[in-house]
Amino acid sequence: MGSDGHERFQHMIDESLAGTVQEEQSLREHLQSCAPCQEYLAASSRAIAGLGGFSFAVDPGLNAKVSASLKLRAQQIRATQPGRRQLVLSCILALMLTAVGSLFDLRLSGLIATVFDLQRMQVQHGLIALWILPSLCLLLLFPILPLLSAGGSNQNERNL
Amino acid sequence: MTLAAGTDSDTRQIALGLRQRNLVLLDALVEQYQYRLVRYLIYLLGRRDGVDDLVQETWLRVLERGSSYDGRSRFEPWLFAIARNLAIDHMRRRRIFSLDSNDDEEGEGVRPSPASDAPSPFALAARTEDAEALAHSLQVLQPSYREALVLRFQEDLSLQEISAIVGAPVSTVSSRIYRGLAMLRSQFEGGSHGI
Repeated sequence: MGSDGHERFQHMIDESLAGTVQEEQSLREHLQSCAPCQEYLAASSRAIAGLGGFSFAVDPGLNAKVSASLKLRAQQIRATQPGRRQLVLSCILALMLTAVGSLFDLRLSGLIATVFDLQRMQVQHGLIALWILPSLCLLLLFPILPLLSAGGSNQNERNL
Repeated sequence: MTLAAGTDSDTRQIALGLRQRNLVLLDALVEQYQYRLVRYLIYLLGRRDGVDDLVQETWLRVLERGSSYDGRSRFEPWLFAIARNLAIDHMRRRRIFSLDSNDDEEGEGVRPSPASDAPSPFALAARTEDAEALAHSLQVLQPSYREALVLRFQEDLSLQEISAIVGAPVSTVSSRIYRGLAMLRSQFEGGSHGI
Protein backbone atom coordinates (compact mmCIF):
# COMPACT_ATOMS: atom_id res chain seq x y z
CA MET A 1 0.00 0.00 0.00
CA GLY A 2 1.28 3.45 -0.91
CA SER A 3 1.83 6.22 1.58
CA ASP A 4 -1.45 7.86 0.55
CA GLY A 5 -3.35 4.81 1.68
CA HIS A 6 -1.53 4.77 5.02
CA GLU A 7 -2.17 8.49 5.45
CA ARG A 8 -5.87 8.03 4.87
CA PHE A 9 -6.13 5.28 7.47
CA GLN A 10 -3.87 7.11 9.90
CA HIS A 11 -6.13 10.14 9.61
CA MET A 12 -9.06 7.85 10.36
CA ILE A 13 -7.19 6.66 13.44
CA ASP A 14 -6.71 10.29 14.53
CA GLU A 15 -10.40 11.00 13.99
CA SER A 16 -11.41 7.91 15.90
CA LEU A 17 -9.16 8.70 18.86
CA ALA A 18 -10.24 12.33 18.95
CA GLY A 19 -13.87 11.31 18.85
CA THR A 20 -14.61 13.05 15.59
CA VAL A 21 -16.03 9.90 14.02
CA GLN A 22 -16.75 6.35 15.06
CA GLU A 23 -14.19 3.74 14.08
CA GLU A 24 -15.10 2.30 10.70
CA GLN A 25 -15.17 -1.32 9.65
CA SER A 26 -12.68 -0.58 6.85
CA LEU A 27 -10.20 0.76 9.39
CA ARG A 28 -10.60 -2.27 11.62
CA GLU A 29 -9.99 -4.59 8.69
CA HIS A 30 -6.99 -2.56 7.55
CA LEU A 31 -5.41 -2.65 10.98
CA GLN A 32 -5.53 -6.44 11.02
CA SER A 33 -2.89 -6.60 8.32
CA CYS A 34 -0.99 -3.29 8.22
CA ALA A 35 2.01 -3.14 10.53
CA PRO A 36 2.84 0.58 10.01
CA CYS A 37 -0.71 1.60 10.87
CA GLN A 38 -0.73 -0.73 13.85
CA GLU A 39 2.41 1.01 15.09
CA TYR A 40 0.81 4.39 14.44
CA LEU A 41 -2.21 3.42 16.51
CA ALA A 42 -0.03 1.97 19.25
CA ALA A 43 2.11 5.11 19.45
CA SER A 44 -0.98 7.35 19.51
CA SER A 45 -2.66 5.26 22.18
CA ARG A 46 0.51 5.27 24.21
CA ALA A 47 0.73 9.07 23.96
CA ILE A 48 -2.87 9.43 25.13
CA ALA A 49 -2.35 6.98 27.96
CA GLY A 50 0.86 8.81 28.86
CA LEU A 51 -1.15 11.96 29.52
CA GLY A 52 -2.72 10.09 32.42
CA GLY A 53 0.68 9.57 33.99
CA PHE A 54 0.96 13.04 35.45
CA SER A 55 0.03 13.92 39.00
CA PHE A 56 0.20 17.62 39.83
CA ALA A 57 0.77 18.70 43.40
CA VAL A 58 -1.96 20.82 44.92
CA ASP A 59 -1.25 22.99 47.94
CA PRO A 60 -3.10 21.29 50.83
CA GLY A 61 -4.16 24.69 52.14
CA LEU A 62 -5.60 25.90 48.84
CA ASN A 63 -9.13 24.61 49.42
CA ALA A 64 -9.36 26.30 52.80
CA LYS A 65 -7.97 29.53 51.36
CA VAL A 66 -10.53 29.47 48.56
CA SER A 67 -13.38 28.74 50.97
CA ALA A 68 -12.39 31.65 53.20
CA SER A 69 -12.24 34.06 50.27
CA LEU A 70 -15.62 32.83 48.99
CA LYS A 71 -17.18 33.42 52.38
CA LEU A 72 -15.75 36.94 52.57
CA ARG A 73 -16.85 37.76 49.04
CA ALA A 74 -20.36 36.44 49.69
CA GLN A 75 -20.63 38.73 52.70
CA GLN A 76 -19.49 41.71 50.63
CA ILE A 77 -22.06 40.94 47.94
CA ARG A 78 -24.87 40.63 50.51
CA ALA A 79 -23.85 43.97 52.02
CA THR A 80 -24.00 45.84 48.70
CA GLN A 81 -27.05 44.30 47.12
CA PRO A 82 -30.59 44.96 48.29
CA GLY A 83 -32.09 42.03 50.12
CA ARG A 84 -35.43 40.47 49.32
CA ARG A 85 -37.14 42.32 52.20
CA GLN A 86 -35.90 45.67 50.96
CA LEU A 87 -37.10 44.93 47.45
CA VAL A 88 -40.55 43.95 48.69
CA LEU A 89 -40.81 47.12 50.79
CA SER A 90 -39.71 49.21 47.81
CA CYS A 91 -42.37 47.57 45.64
CA ILE A 92 -45.04 48.24 48.26
CA LEU A 93 -43.95 51.87 48.51
CA ALA A 94 -44.06 52.26 44.71
CA LEU A 95 -47.51 50.66 44.67
CA MET A 96 -48.77 53.04 47.35
CA LEU A 97 -47.34 56.03 45.50
CA THR A 98 -49.11 54.92 42.33
CA ALA A 99 -52.38 54.45 44.20
CA VAL A 100 -52.18 57.79 45.98
CA GLY A 101 -51.27 59.55 42.74
CA SER A 102 -54.22 57.95 40.99
CA LEU A 103 -56.51 59.03 43.84
CA PHE A 104 -55.27 62.60 43.58
CA ASP A 105 -55.84 62.48 39.86
CA LEU A 106 -59.40 61.22 40.16
CA ARG A 107 -60.65 63.10 43.23
CA LEU A 108 -58.55 66.18 43.78
CA SER A 109 -57.46 67.31 40.34
CA GLY A 110 -60.42 69.66 40.14
CA LEU A 111 -59.53 71.29 43.48
CA ILE A 112 -55.89 71.63 42.54
CA ALA A 113 -56.86 73.19 39.25
CA THR A 114 -59.02 75.74 41.05
CA VAL A 115 -56.34 76.62 43.60
CA PHE A 116 -53.61 77.12 41.00
CA ASP A 117 -55.89 78.59 38.33
CA LEU A 118 -55.20 75.79 35.85
CA GLN A 119 -57.37 73.62 33.66
CA ARG A 120 -58.28 70.29 35.18
CA MET A 121 -56.87 68.45 32.14
CA GLN A 122 -53.51 70.11 32.67
CA VAL A 123 -53.41 69.01 36.30
CA GLN A 124 -54.35 65.46 35.37
CA HIS A 125 -51.68 65.28 32.66
CA GLY A 126 -49.12 66.66 35.07
CA LEU A 127 -50.00 64.11 37.74
CA ILE A 128 -49.79 61.27 35.26
CA ALA A 129 -46.45 62.39 33.78
CA LEU A 130 -44.71 63.40 36.98
CA TRP A 131 -46.17 61.08 39.59
CA ILE A 132 -48.20 58.11 38.40
CA LEU A 133 -46.01 57.00 35.49
CA PRO A 134 -42.68 57.26 37.36
CA SER A 135 -44.04 55.35 40.36
CA LEU A 136 -45.50 52.73 38.01
CA CYS A 137 -42.10 52.36 36.33
CA LEU A 138 -40.44 51.88 39.70
CA LEU A 139 -43.04 49.28 40.61
CA LEU A 140 -42.25 47.33 37.47
CA LEU A 141 -38.48 47.82 37.69
CA PHE A 142 -37.78 46.71 41.25
CA PRO A 143 -38.54 42.99 40.77
CA ILE A 144 -36.09 42.71 37.87
CA LEU A 145 -33.22 44.65 39.49
CA PRO A 146 -31.47 41.46 40.76
CA LEU A 147 -31.59 40.03 37.25
CA LEU A 148 -30.08 43.18 35.77
CA SER A 149 -27.24 43.26 38.28
CA ALA A 150 -26.33 39.63 37.60
CA GLY A 151 -26.52 40.05 33.84
CA GLY A 152 -22.98 41.21 33.04
CA SER A 153 -21.16 37.96 32.43
CA ASN A 154 -18.79 36.89 29.69
CA GLN A 155 -20.28 35.48 26.48
CA ASN A 156 -18.37 32.18 26.69
CA GLU A 157 -19.48 31.52 30.21
CA ARG A 158 -23.16 31.72 29.38
CA ASN A 159 -25.17 28.74 28.27
CA LEU A 160 -22.35 26.37 27.43
CA MET B 1 -21.73 16.41 50.08
CA THR B 2 -20.82 14.90 46.72
CA LEU B 3 -22.10 16.31 43.49
CA ALA B 4 -22.13 14.41 40.25
CA ALA B 5 -22.50 17.07 37.60
CA GLY B 6 -23.54 14.68 34.91
CA THR B 7 -27.32 14.29 35.00
CA ASP B 8 -29.80 17.06 34.34
CA SER B 9 -31.06 17.09 37.91
CA ASP B 10 -27.50 17.35 39.25
CA THR B 11 -26.63 20.28 37.03
CA ARG B 12 -29.90 22.01 37.85
CA GLN B 13 -29.17 21.49 41.53
CA ILE B 14 -25.82 23.18 41.02
CA ALA B 15 -27.42 26.00 39.04
CA LEU B 16 -29.96 26.61 41.80
CA GLY B 17 -27.29 26.57 44.47
CA LEU B 18 -25.10 28.99 42.56
CA ARG B 19 -28.02 31.36 42.04
CA GLN B 20 -28.62 31.31 45.80
CA ARG B 21 -24.87 31.68 46.47
CA ASN B 22 -24.99 28.55 48.60
CA LEU B 23 -21.55 28.38 50.25
CA VAL B 24 -21.97 24.74 51.27
CA LEU B 25 -22.51 23.85 47.63
CA LEU B 26 -19.55 25.96 46.57
CA ASP B 27 -17.28 24.25 49.09
CA ALA B 28 -18.37 20.89 47.71
CA LEU B 29 -17.65 22.05 44.16
CA VAL B 30 -14.23 23.30 45.21
CA GLU B 31 -13.50 19.93 46.81
CA GLN B 32 -14.64 18.06 43.75
CA TYR B 33 -13.10 20.13 40.97
CA GLN B 34 -10.00 21.69 42.51
CA TYR B 35 -7.44 19.23 41.16
CA ARG B 36 -8.97 19.27 37.68
CA LEU B 37 -8.97 23.05 37.66
CA VAL B 38 -5.32 23.18 38.74
CA ARG B 39 -4.40 20.63 36.08
CA TYR B 40 -6.27 22.51 33.36
CA LEU B 41 -4.57 25.80 34.21
CA ILE B 42 -1.14 24.17 34.28
CA TYR B 43 -1.75 22.72 30.84
CA LEU B 44 -2.99 26.08 29.61
CA LEU B 45 -0.18 28.18 31.03
CA GLY B 46 2.62 25.63 30.91
CA ARG B 47 3.78 26.77 34.33
CA ARG B 48 2.91 26.20 37.98
CA ASP B 49 3.46 29.64 39.48
CA GLY B 50 0.43 31.87 39.46
CA VAL B 51 -1.97 28.95 39.06
CA ASP B 52 -3.18 28.99 42.67
CA ASP B 53 -4.12 32.67 42.41
CA LEU B 54 -6.01 31.99 39.19
CA VAL B 55 -7.81 29.09 40.85
CA GLN B 56 -8.94 31.37 43.65
CA GLU B 57 -10.07 34.05 41.19
CA THR B 58 -11.97 31.44 39.22
CA TRP B 59 -14.01 30.35 42.21
CA LEU B 60 -14.72 33.96 43.17
CA ARG B 61 -16.06 34.55 39.70
CA VAL B 62 -18.15 31.39 39.96
CA LEU B 63 -19.68 32.92 43.08
CA GLU B 64 -20.25 36.31 41.46
CA ARG B 65 -21.64 35.01 38.17
CA GLY B 66 -23.33 31.85 39.35
CA SER B 67 -26.69 33.04 38.08
CA SER B 68 -25.39 32.85 34.49
CA TYR B 69 -25.06 29.05 34.75
CA ASP B 70 -28.45 27.62 33.84
CA GLY B 71 -27.78 23.93 34.47
CA ARG B 72 -28.76 22.87 30.94
CA SER B 73 -25.21 21.75 30.18
CA ARG B 74 -22.48 20.20 32.27
CA PHE B 75 -20.78 22.26 34.93
CA GLU B 76 -17.19 21.53 33.85
CA PRO B 77 -17.24 23.43 30.52
CA TRP B 78 -18.69 26.50 32.25
CA LEU B 79 -16.05 26.32 34.97
CA PHE B 80 -13.17 25.88 32.53
CA ALA B 81 -14.44 28.75 30.38
CA ILE B 82 -14.26 31.05 33.40
CA ALA B 83 -10.77 29.84 34.22
CA ARG B 84 -9.67 30.29 30.62
CA ASN B 85 -10.89 33.87 30.42
CA LEU B 86 -9.10 34.75 33.62
CA ALA B 87 -5.92 33.05 32.43
CA ILE B 88 -6.04 35.03 29.17
CA ASP B 89 -6.47 38.30 31.07
CA HIS B 90 -3.57 37.27 33.30
CA MET B 91 -1.34 36.52 30.33
CA ARG B 92 -2.22 39.78 28.61
CA ARG B 93 -1.40 41.74 31.74
CA ARG B 94 1.93 40.00 32.08
CA ARG B 95 2.51 40.04 28.31
CA ILE B 96 3.17 36.34 28.24
CA PHE B 97 2.56 34.41 25.00
CA SER B 98 -0.85 34.55 23.40
CA LEU B 99 -3.16 31.59 23.24
CA ASP B 100 -4.10 32.56 19.71
CA SER B 101 -2.11 30.17 17.59
CA ASN B 102 -2.03 30.38 13.85
CA ASP B 103 -3.58 27.00 13.24
CA ASP B 104 -2.99 27.23 9.54
CA GLU B 105 0.77 27.27 9.74
CA GLU B 106 2.38 23.99 8.83
CA GLY B 107 4.72 22.66 11.40
CA GLU B 108 3.35 25.01 13.97
CA GLY B 109 3.02 23.43 17.32
CA VAL B 110 6.15 24.42 19.10
CA ARG B 111 6.71 27.73 20.73
CA PRO B 112 9.80 29.00 22.50
CA SER B 113 9.68 28.26 26.19
CA PRO B 114 9.02 31.35 28.26
CA ALA B 115 12.08 32.73 29.96
CA SER B 116 11.86 31.06 33.32
CA ASP B 117 14.21 29.22 35.62
CA ALA B 118 11.32 27.30 37.12
CA PRO B 119 11.40 23.58 36.40
CA SER B 120 8.81 22.25 33.99
CA PRO B 121 5.60 21.41 35.84
CA PHE B 122 5.21 18.39 33.57
CA ALA B 123 8.65 17.04 34.42
CA LEU B 124 7.89 17.44 38.11
CA ALA B 125 4.50 15.80 37.79
CA ALA B 126 5.48 12.79 35.65
CA ARG B 127 4.84 9.54 37.50
CA THR B 128 5.33 7.00 34.71
CA GLU B 129 8.03 6.38 32.16
CA ASP B 130 5.76 7.40 29.30
CA ALA B 131 4.79 10.60 31.10
CA GLU B 132 8.47 11.41 31.55
CA ALA B 133 8.95 10.90 27.83
CA LEU B 134 6.10 13.32 27.10
CA ALA B 135 7.07 16.00 29.59
CA HIS B 136 9.41 17.98 27.35
CA SER B 137 7.08 17.74 24.35
CA LEU B 138 4.21 19.05 26.44
CA GLN B 139 6.30 21.89 27.75
CA VAL B 140 7.19 23.17 24.27
CA LEU B 141 3.81 22.42 22.70
CA GLN B 142 1.52 25.30 21.67
CA PRO B 143 -0.73 26.19 24.62
CA SER B 144 -3.83 25.81 22.45
CA TYR B 145 -2.80 22.27 21.49
CA ARG B 146 -2.02 21.36 25.07
CA GLU B 147 -5.35 22.75 26.14
CA ALA B 148 -7.22 20.72 23.51
CA LEU B 149 -5.42 17.54 24.55
CA VAL B 150 -6.17 17.88 28.26
CA LEU B 151 -9.80 18.78 27.68
CA ARG B 152 -10.33 15.87 25.29
CA PHE B 153 -8.27 13.10 26.82
CA GLN B 154 -8.17 13.99 30.51
CA GLU B 155 -11.46 15.79 31.01
CA ASP B 156 -13.26 13.65 28.40
CA LEU B 157 -15.19 16.62 27.06
CA SER B 158 -16.87 16.41 23.69
CA LEU B 159 -15.52 18.39 20.75
CA GLN B 160 -18.59 20.64 20.91
CA GLU B 161 -17.98 21.37 24.59
CA ILE B 162 -14.31 22.14 23.94
CA SER B 163 -15.31 24.35 21.02
CA ALA B 164 -17.60 26.35 23.30
CA ILE B 165 -14.89 26.75 25.93
CA VAL B 166 -12.15 27.93 23.59
CA GLY B 167 -14.40 29.89 21.25
CA ALA B 168 -13.16 28.13 18.13
CA PRO B 169 -14.95 25.94 15.57
CA VAL B 170 -15.03 22.19 16.07
CA SER B 171 -12.78 21.77 13.03
CA THR B 172 -10.14 23.98 14.64
CA VAL B 173 -10.37 22.03 17.89
CA SER B 174 -9.98 18.76 15.99
CA SER B 175 -6.98 20.13 14.16
CA ARG B 176 -5.33 21.16 17.42
CA ILE B 177 -5.92 17.70 18.84
CA TYR B 178 -4.43 15.99 15.79
CA ARG B 179 -1.37 18.25 15.75
CA GLY B 180 -0.82 18.00 19.48
CA LEU B 181 -1.15 14.24 19.34
CA ALA B 182 1.31 14.12 16.44
CA MET B 183 3.90 15.93 18.53
CA LEU B 184 3.43 13.56 21.44
CA ARG B 185 3.27 10.48 19.28
CA SER B 186 6.70 11.25 17.85
CA GLN B 187 8.14 10.28 21.24
CA PHE B 188 6.98 6.73 20.75
CA GLU B 189 7.47 6.22 17.05
CA GLY B 190 10.39 4.57 15.42
CA GLY B 191 11.00 2.22 18.29
CA SER B 192 12.72 4.98 20.27
CA HIS B 193 10.89 3.91 23.39
CA GLY B 194 10.62 0.21 22.80
CA ILE B 195 7.32 -0.12 20.94
